[in-house]
Amino acid sequence: MPSFLRSDTLLRLFAVGLALVMVSSCAVRTDQIARDPNTVRIAVNGWVGYEASAEVLAHILREEMGYEVQLVRVDEQPSWQALDQGVLDMIVENWGHEDLFELYGPEGNGTAVDGGPTGNEGVIGWYVPAYVADEYPEITTLEGLKENTDLFRTSQTGDKGEFLAGAPGFVSQDQGMINAFDLDLEMVYAGSEAAQITEVRRRAANEEPVLFYFYDPQWFQEEIDLVKVDFPEYYDGCDADLEYVDCDYPVYDLNKIFRAGFVENDDHAYRFLDNWRWTNADQNEVAAMIADEGMDPSDAAEAWVGENRDIWQEWLPEGYEDRI
Amino acid sequence: MAAMTRPAGAAGTGARNPGGSGDSGGLLRNTWLQALAAVAVLVAGYWAARLLGNPAWAGSFPTNAGDSFMAWLDGVYAWIVANRNDSPLFLYFFNYISVGLGSAVVLINQFLDFLTWAGVTVLGVLAAWRIAGWRVALLVLAAFGVFALTGLWNESMTTLSLIITSVFMALLFGIPMGVLAGRSERFYRGIRPVLDFMQIMPAFAYLLPFVLLFGIGNPAAAVVTAVYAFPPVVRITALGIREVNKGAIEATTSLGSTPWQILTKVQLPLAKRTILLGVNQTIMLAVSMVVIASVIGAGGLGDAIYQALSKINVGQAFQAGLAIVMLAIAMDRVTGAVGHGAHTPRIRESRRMPLLAGGLALVILVTAVGRLLDLGGWPRELSVRLDIPINAADDAIQATIGGATAALGEWTQSEILSPLNHLLTGSPWWLVVLVAAALGGIFSGWRTALVSAVSFVAIGLLGVWSNAMDTLSQVLVATVLTIALGVVIGVLMSRSDVFAAILRPVLDFMQTLPPFVYLIPAVALLGLGPVPALAAAVIFALPPVIRLVNDGIRGVPAGTIEAAVSQGSTRWQLLTKVELPMAVGSLRLAVNQGIILVLSMVVMGALVGAGALGNDVVLGLAQNELGLGIASGLAIVFLGLFLDRVTQGRRAPRA
Repeated sequence: MPSFLRSDTLLRLFAVGLALVMVSSCAVRTDQIARDPNTVRIAVNGWVGYEASAEVLAHILREEMGYEVQLVRVDEQPSWQALDQGVLDMIVENWGHEDLFELYGPEGNGTAVDGGPTGNEGVIGWYVPAYVADEYPEITTLEGLKENTDLFRTSQTGDKGEFLAGAPGFVSQDQGMINAFDLDLEMVYAGSEAAQITEVRRRAANEEPVLFYFYDPQWFQEEIDLVKVDFPEYYDGCDADLEYVDCDYPVYDLNKIFRAGFVENDDHAYRFLDNWRWTNADQNEVAAMIADEGMDPSDAAEAWVGENRDIWQEWLPEGYEDRI
Repeated sequence: MAAMTRPAGAAGTGARNPGGSGDSGGLLRNTWLQALAAVAVLVAGYWAARLLGNPAWAGSFPTNAGDSFMAWLDGVYAWIVANRNDSPLFLYFFNYISVGLGSAVVLINQFLDFLTWAGVTVLGVLAAWRIAGWRVALLVLAAFGVFALTGLWNESMTTLSLIITSVFMALLFGIPMGVLAGRSERFYRGIRPVLDFMQIMPAFAYLLPFVLLFGIGNPAAAVVTAVYAFPPVVRITALGIREVNKGAIEATTSLGSTPWQILTKVQLPLAKRTILLGVNQTIMLAVSMVVIASVIGAGGLGDAIYQALSKINVGQAFQAGLAIVMLAIAMDRVTGAVGHGAHTPRIRESRRMPLLAGGLALVILVTAVGRLLDLGGWPRELSVRLDIPINAADDAIQATIGGATAALGEWTQSEILSPLNHLLTGSPWWLVVLVAAALGGIFSGWRTALVSAVSFVAIGLLGVWSNAMDTLSQVLVATVLTIALGVVIGVLMSRSDVFAAILRPVLDFMQTLPPFVYLIPAVALLGLGPVPALAAAVIFALPPVIRLVNDGIRGVPAGTIEAAVSQGSTRWQLLTKVELPMAVGSLRLAVNQGIILVLSMVVMGALVGAGALGNDVVLGLAQNELGLGIASGLAIVFLGLFLDRVTQGRRAPRA
C-alpha cells in the first residue's frame, strides 16, 4: 500500500481534526491543542546531562515502543507551568524546586506529580579551576577564600572580587552565601551557561583566576579540572531566607516530575518512564558523547542504547510489545 | 531592501527637510555648546555628591513605589497560576485562542510534512516564479537547498509554520486597523502611542505574560510573534490609505458612492502597493522573532541555535543562523516583488488558469511520488557539515587575535563604560532628570523636555533606577560607536558603486543573522560583560545606519555637487560642507534608528553578562518574576521614548 494511504497517517489526521471539532463546542482547556494521541511530550532544560537523559528516553520510546516523542526546549520554571497547562507530560530531571512543587503539586493546583528519583545525584557549588587551587591551596576553604577575594577582581567589579553566577534560570542561593559568610565579592551574571563556559575557557587558556557557580554532572567538568570550594554543610532550613544562607548547596537526589493527567492515563509510556532509573556514570557517558565528541544528541542516545540493552531492558513495562 | 531597515514609525520623518540646513551651522554650534554645558553640570553634580559623601537626598531614586508595583504584578501572577485551570476567563476566552493557534501551527506543519521535501520545494519555487520571476525563484530554491543541506529541514518547516500562522494573525487584525486609522484621524492618534510602545517594549519582557495567558509552546509563540510583527502593517496601511489622491475620492463621492464603495473600489486598490510593503515588513519582523520565541518552547530553527550554543558549538549555531538568513531574504524578495511587481512574468489572461492548474498538478504529482518513496523530510545523512570548518576558523581567529581583543575589551570596560556608568548611577537622581530634560529641550524643544523629564521620573518610580542608568550608559557608548562607524562606512559606500555592490549582501546578512550566533564568539574574544554585548549591538544596528547615510549622500542633487566642484572645493570640503549638511535629514534618521536598534539589543546583551535592565528581564522570565520582568521592560520603553524624542529633533515633528 502506498505510504500516504497508510492507516496510521490517516488516523492521525482524523484524530487531529476530531480534536479541533471538540474544542469548538464548549469550555476549553489548554491541553486540548491538536496533537497526536500517540505523542509523549518531554521538557528539555538547558544543560547537556538533562538532554542526554531525555534523548535516551526518547530513543527507546520511539524505536522500541512505537511512540512519537516531542522534545520541547524550555527553562526550568516555565516547564512546570507547561505541566500545569497540560502542554507537556514530563520533566526528566528536577533539581529541588520545592516552592514550585508546593504551587503545582497535590497541595496546590494538583497538576504535577513527583515521579520519584532518576538515580542521578546532583551537586551545585562554587568552583575554581585546578590551577588556581594549586597556586593557592587554602582557597578551597571558607577562610582561605575570604582572604583571597581580591584575587578575583576584574575591571568590571572594581575593588570587589568577581563571583561569576550562572544562567538566570538556574537554582541559586549565591547572594545569600556572600552575605552570610561576609565575602567581599560581587555577583556578575554570565547571563547564560554558554557565555559562562566560554568565559571560563578563555580565562583558563591564560590561567587567569576565576570563581564561579557550577554543578555536577556537567560535561565541562571533563574538559577542565575544577575544584569545589568547601562551605559548611547544608542543614535543613539554612536556605529559608535567600538573602542569608550560611551553608553550601544541598546534594540533590534528582527526581522526575509528571503531569497528573499523564499519570492517570497510566499507559505504557508512563510506566516505562516511571521505571526508568540510571546512574551518574550512565548519564555522563551519553553527555560526553554529545558535548565532547560533538555527536548529534540522537546519535549519542542511539549509540548508548545499542550497547546497554541489559540496562534499559528492565525499564520496559509488561506487555509493551502489544501496542506495536 | 531599504524598506526592511526602516520601521515605519520613523519612515520619512526626518528626511523631508534638507532645505533647512542653511542656518543649521550656527544653530548646531550653539546647540552642541548648550548640550556640553548640561553634561558639565551633571559631572559637577556627580563630584559634588561624592565630596559630600553621597548623602541620601543626592543618591539614586528611592525604590518604594517600584517595589509595591512589582509586588502587585507578582500578585497578579499568583492569581493567574492559581485560577487558570478553572476561571471562565480562561475556559471560555484565552484557551480558545490558545488551542486554535496551537492547532493551526501543528496542522500547517503536518501539511508541510505531508508534502515531503520534494513537494514543498516544487510548490515554493513555482509560487515564487509566478509572483516574482525566475531570479527570485532561484533564490527560493537556494533557500530550500540550505534548509536541506544543513540538515535542518524539519526545523525549518516548524519555523515556517509558526511564521505563516503569526503573520496571518497579524494581518487579520493589522490591515483592518490600519484602514480604520487611515480613515479616522482620532483613531490614529489614539492607537499611535500603543504602536510605539509595542515596538520598543523588549519581546523578552512580554514573553512571560503571554506564556501565562496562552500557554507554553506554539500558542504563546504565535501570539508573541504576531504582536511583535503587527505595528508596521497598521502604520503602513494607514499611510497608504491617507496618501490616496483626494481628487479621486472626491470624484467618486460626487458620483454618489457609498463609503464602503469608496474603500473597496478606490482607497484599497490605490493603496495596494503601500499595504504590501507593510506586509513585507511584518513578515521580516516575524522572522526575527521566531528565534526569541523558541525560548518558550516554540522549537524550530531558533531551538537549533540554542541547542548548539548550549554546547558552545559556534559552527552549528552558525549553520542554523544561515538557514534563518536564507528564509528571511527569500521571504523579503518574494513579498517585495509583489509590491513593485517589476519581475512578475507577463502571462496572457487566457493562459493563467491552465498554468495554475498545471502547477497544482505538478505539485500533487511530486508529492505523490515523494510519498510513494516515503521521502518525508530531507534525510540528515545527506547534509553538508559546515560546522567543522567554521569552528576551526573560529578557534584560529581566537588564537591569533584573542589576546589583543581581550585587552581592548578590558580597556573599553575600565576606561569608558565604568566611568560613564559611575557618572550616571552616582549622580543625584533629580540632577539626572533635570539634565535629561535640558538635553531634550536643547535638541527638540520644550515638549520633548517635558517628555524626557517624565520618562526619567517614571523609570525611578518603577524602582529600577540604578539598572536603568547602567543600561543607558551602555546604550550611549554603543550608539556613538554605531554612528561613527556607520557614517564612515556609509560615506565610503556612497563613493564607490563597486564597494556598494559588495557591501549590500553583507548588510542583508548582518541584519537577518540572529544575534545569538555571534554573541558567544564575542565573549570568547572580548571577555564576558557589557563589552561583547556592545559589540553585538553595534553589528546589529550598523546596517540601517550605513544604508541611510549612503542613501542620504547619494540623494544630494548632482547640480549642487557640480557647482561646488566648479568653485574649487576639495573632496573633503565637498563632503563636510555640501554633502553631509544636505543629507542631514537622513543622518538624523540614521541616528534615531541606530539608537532604537541598539536599545532593542539590551536584553540580548544580558545573555552574555551585560547585566542591568536586560538581566532583570531575562531573570523575570526564567524565575517567573513577572513584576521584575515587566518593570524592567517598561524602563527600557521609557529610555527608548527619551532617546527617540531627543534625536528626532525639533524640525521633524512626528507625522
